[in-house]
Amino acid sequence: MIQFKNVSKTYPNGTHALNNVNINIEKGEFVFIVGASGAGKSTFLKLIMKEEQPSSGEITINGVNTTNMKRRKVPYLRRTMGIVFQDFRLIDKMTVFENVAFAMRVIGARPRAVKKRVLYILGLVGLKDKAKCRPAELSGGEQQRVSLARALVNNPSIIIADEPTGNIDPEMSFEIIELLNEINKQGTTIIVVTHEHELVQKFKNRVIEINNGQVVSDSGAPAEKVEVPIEISQEDLAEIPEEIAEEIADVSAAELSEEALQAIVQGEVEDE
Amino acid sequence: MRGLGYLFKEGIKNVWNNRMMSLASIGVLVSCLIITGAAVLLSLNVNSVVDSVGRENQVTVFLDDDIKELEAVMEIGPQIRSLDNISECEFYSKDEAIAELRDELGNLFSELQGDDNPLPHSFHVTMVDLSQYEDTVKNIAKVDGVYKISDRSDVANKLTSLNTLVTQIGLWIVIVLGIISLFIISNSIRMTMYSRRFEISIMKSVGATDWFVRVPFIIEGIVLGLISGIISSAIIAFLYEGIISAVQYIIPFSEIAYSDVAFNMTFSFIILGMAVGALGAAISIGRYLKMEGGEILGW
Repeated sequence: MIQFKNVSKTYPNGTHALNNVNINIEKGEFVFIVGASGAGKSTFLKLIMKEEQPSSGEITINGVNTTNMKRRKVPYLRRTMGIVFQDFRLIDKMTVFENVAFAMRVIGARPRAVKKRVLYILGLVGLKDKAKCRPAELSGGEQQRVSLARALVNNPSIIIADEPTGNIDPEMSFEIIELLNEINKQGTTIIVVTHEHELVQKFKNRVIEINNGQVVSDSGAPAEKVEVPIEISQEDLAEIPEEIAEEIADVSAAELSEEALQAIVQGEVEDE
Repeated sequence: MRGLGYLFKEGIKNVWNNRMMSLASIGVLVSCLIITGAAVLLSLNVNSVVDSVGRENQVTVFLDDDIKELEAVMEIGPQIRSLDNISECEFYSKDEAIAELRDELGNLFSELQGDDNPLPHSFHVTMVDLSQYEDTVKNIAKVDGVYKISDRSDVANKLTSLNTLVTQIGLWIVIVLGIISLFIISNSIRMTMYSRRFEISIMKSVGATDWFVRVPFIIEGIVLGLISGIISSAIIAFLYEGIISAVQYIIPFSEIAYSDVAFNMTFSFIILGMAVGALGAAISIGRYLKMEGGEILGW
């Protein structure tokens, strides 16, 4: 689905955003991309969307090598992906319905098809009764759901969400990811960039961590999960109460499943 | 092409949403078109005057004083007639000439009759092709007994050079104003694009083609041009008759009726306006189309 082969990206100002990155995301996966700001996450997304050109390496999307794709073909590539932004990017003077319909209209959809499809998608994200509202009248979570509806309306095979929960409260964040999970179950590949560890831990999906332009960890595709050793950082250990830490110490990290670890960490969080 | 109706609506919306700048563009374009039209109409009228003067380009061939009427009619007349490019050659005796003068100027010339008549015999010669005017005049002058040839070509020449001057100055004014209009329109559309950059960035992120991003702005330019074309042809039509009759009051001349040129004028104004509008739009769009994502929003 999405394949990065030895991809590096250096910006004209000399910033090395990505350095020899190899990532392979299969169709139907749900992947979290995590990392500090400036780590290269945004560049990774821009390269997928072909807003940027890699300095070296090869990128394949849906089996098409996009590395040297012609400019006029890029719009058609983008129609296979839906993008959700941290700041929602909704057009204030348009209603919820119009905002979602806009994405269909600008790729030349027929008016009748637009109406039917937009209402269906708004139903899917639970905003059918808000169709006539303006974005300003909605909560952050609702606005992000509109943004998600817009991303979904053209029936993309990939959804890319750049910090989708960055501007909304934690409860709503959970809802949004849950919604993405539902969409993922229909077979849509989902890539979520986030720095909210809580969310990542709550949903047991593949996590790719990028730092300093390199992939520093990849929990792998679901099927490979068990084989990947869990790394417990010093910080994580410090947060765990002593008695549990002792328990962990008895078992080697390699034997501990991610689920078990999360159960421990979450249990600890809930206790608080 | 699907979605054209949608794009058209968007273009017209742009004109309205950005109405101050639209008004400025229309104002400049209208002035440019009116000046262009004025230059064209002036040139057409001067041309028509030159033509009518040219059409009267009948030269009067005066004969030597000592040539008698018989000699003139029997010898010089046929010689002139045998030259190339002569359509008519009519004898005009000194008696007829003095009679005409007398009719025009009264009895002042009543004494100058018969042998006292100082006027020579002459021929009124009309040519077939005016472009060979100079050559024909030279040939006539070579005929024995021809004293002098008078004509109105100097008037025609002066008018022609005036016409050339008017055309040249007009052309420069049109070029300069054309560039200014183009600049103003492209700026106006750049403002629209700036105010809609957010939408453009979304359009690009959901996979709108360059064509789809471009069309509403091109339509905006064309609509601005169309409105300017209509306004300026209406103004020209309204002012033309008035100005012409005012000028005719001072210098009588046969003018070109506006109804003769109305269709061509209106048509070319509208086409010209739309072309400048579309071009102005195309100039500003190129820059935006090359940008991606955050760049469009200026991040």
